[in-house]
Amino acid sequence: MSKILIVDDEADIRNALKRRLEREGYEVDTAESAKAADLLIQAQHPSYDVVVSDMSMEEQDSGLIVLKDAIAHDIFTEVIVITAYGNVANAVESMRRGAFDYVEKNVPGIDVYELIAFKVSLAMEQRRSAVTTVRRLEEVVAKSDKLPESISE
Amino acid sequence: MTAPDFSNLPFDPITDRTQQFLRDLNDLFVEAGREGPTGDFLRRLLEAGIHAVGGKRGFFALVQNDTGELHLSAVAGPDWTDQNRGTRLQLAQEENRGISGHVVMMGESYVTGDVSHDQYYVRIFDDVKSEISVPILSNSSQPLGVMTIDSPEADRFDTDDCARLTALSQVAGVALTVQGFRDREKALINIGKTLTGMLDVNNMTDKVVQIASIALRFEDCSLFLLDEQTNMLILRSTSGRLASEVGKPSYKLGEGLTGWVALNGRPIRVEAPQDDVRWLGHMNEFSDDDIGPFLAVPIISRNKTLGVIRVLRRKSHATWYSNRFTDVDERVLSTVASQIGVAMENARNIDRLVTSQRMSAWGELSARSAHMIGNRAFALKGDVNELGYLINELPDGTSKVAFNEISQSLGNGIERLEEILREFRDFVMAAQSQLISEDINRAIHETLKETFPKRTDIELRLLLNEKLPAVKLDNRKFKRALGELIENAISYQPNGGFVGISSDRLNHDIRIGESDALAQTYVVLEVSDAGPGVPYESKDKIFQPFYTSRTKGMGLGLSIVKGVVESHHGLLREIGEPGVGARFQIFLPV
Repeated sequence: MSKILIVDDEADIRNALKRRLEREGYEVDTAESAKAADLLIQAQHPSYDVVVSDMSMEEQDSGLIVLKDAIAHDIFTEVIVITAYGNVANAVESMRRGAFDYVEKNVPGIDVYELIAFKVSLAMEQRRSAVTTVRRLEEVVAKSDKLPESISE
Repeated sequence: MTAPDFSNLPFDPITDRTQQFLRDLNDLFVEAGREGPTGDFLRRLLEAGIHAVGGKRGFFALVQNDTGELHLSAVAGPDWTDQNRGTRLQLAQEENRGISGHVVMMGESYVTGDVSHDQYYVRIFDDVKSEISVPILSNSSQPLGVMTIDSPEADRFDTDDCARLTALSQVAGVALTVQGFRDREKALINIGKTLTGMLDVNNMTDKVVQIASIALRFEDCSLFLLDEQTNMLILRSTSGRLASEVGKPSYKLGEGLTGWVALNGRPIRVEAPQDDVRWLGHMNEFSDDDIGPFLAVPIISRNKTLGVIRVLRRKSHATWYSNRFTDVDERVLSTVASQIGVAMENARNIDRLVTSQRMSAWGELSARSAHMIGNRAFALKGDVNELGYLINELPDGTSKVAFNEISQSLGNGIERLEEILREFRDFVMAAQSQLISEDINRAIHETLKETFPKRTDIELRLLLNEKLPAVKLDNRKFKRALGELIENAISYQPNGGFVGISSDRLNHDIRIGESDALAQTYVVLEVSDAGPGVPYESKDKIFQPFYTSRTKGMGLGLSIVKGVVESHHGLLREIGEPGVGARFQIFLPV
């Protein structure tokens, strides 16, 4: 089952996102800070498929720390950053550092929860295809590794 | 400064009294250059004089520039009371002038041995038979006052006495002249000190006027500041008689002598302002007939006239005596004016600095609160969504209409909240643009794609010059501003119409309001419609925050556009004709 970690310092938002994504059939953990998120990330095996993190929590750019920790733990974990009050500069920075996407919390007339659920599904897709590609590569490499051995025998 | 002329002094025979006189003269002269005349100095000089000519008592009287009176400033000898010390000799009126007044007017000394038959004498003491009086002249031979000594003996004084007293009066003249310079110097330093320490412009001008009128002997001093909006000179501070007029507009720029000074940035110095064609004759410290010499200098800072400082004197009724303002007076007043100019500029700069600090604190505060509100709105939205799911999961047969209505209404409320939040954020962020060279036509096309409705009764009239130079744009912000204008145009034409968008190149200077043209070449962008247009009386208000005639939004829309355009170093105006439609023009420098 696909596993998601939600990181936000607001309990209401954590709960709302958790409810929404659980409806999609994901298994959802939550953390209220970058620090708490890191502990969960380190303890999780296999790692989270997708992490959805708020940008500004303890720090203005806590989201970047979550991003770094998640990718350091598993390069295939996709991170979606959510920002309130259009913290665009940080959001762009998170993309530069390998986030899957960023979503603004307040867009009039748009159901952002719906949007997040959609982006999460895209991120899952991307993760799956990346993992599959790498597995295939690994298999190819594994086979080519065996080849010289067999010759030497 | 003229040194006393000792050549015609009576040296022979050298009596004790003569020796004493010479010693006194020497001491006093040295002191005059060093100390300047205090009341004590003039009294000692007077005592030396009484001793030198063998008189009984005497006084120093000084000319008062504004009233044309002689006031006693030092007395010596017996029988003086507060009352006779307060004697004032009217120079203007012949009968009350006295010998002293006569001497001041003529500028020559006068001796009488029998006062009872003297045509000029005015009696102060009963026992006086002889009187001797010498004028005190400034270095420019202006009469400053008089030294008068009497005696109960008839025919007490001779020409030798006259020469001795003249020598002393010259010392007094030197001392008073030196003192005059010192007073001015001190006053100027005082004004300088006052101005450096003060930030409140009103307070500052009050203080300057006070110092200028007292210490610099500009009896009636008024300070006017130019109001840039109305081009009126407003009376800011005055030394007294016009006090009730402070804060009121007094002259239009160019009106009257004072207005002329403000308009031309040059001083006016005249002896009889009533004879001047520019004379208007209102807002003066005293009645038209009484006004004498007039001096007004502009207060200038960075080539801009900020106001006028003006001094007046009463007309001198004595034809012999001129109380006109001198070159020195004009120089002193100009110095004061330039000090005020610099100080006002300083005060304004500091004011600007404080305001910008406040603004940045305000920006920080609004960013934080918007962030918190945004988070709450997001959480509420999640709850409302959940409510929607729960309603859906209600058992069949339950009436869901009321629940759905509430849920819908909550959703609308949150959306409205987010709209306000977005408008607010755009307003705060409007000024912070990151400019990159862009093709403006591309930005127009992108904006249209995002904002112009696919199906509408409104016709789009696009007239773009395809060969435009690149301009520096913050793409996101610029599109927001343009989108605002387009949405505005659409919302004012509910029954159809058109939205015209044109771009072109402009190669000459433009000037809108106070802003100067910043570049020679502009790209000009116009958004027009066939809506109701902007009434003439509202044209200068529509770009102010919170000004709106629509119900949607906070009324920040056009002020966001203005902020964005200004952060692009551009200019924004509306030139449409009311009833025909609105025409917004954006000028961006190339």
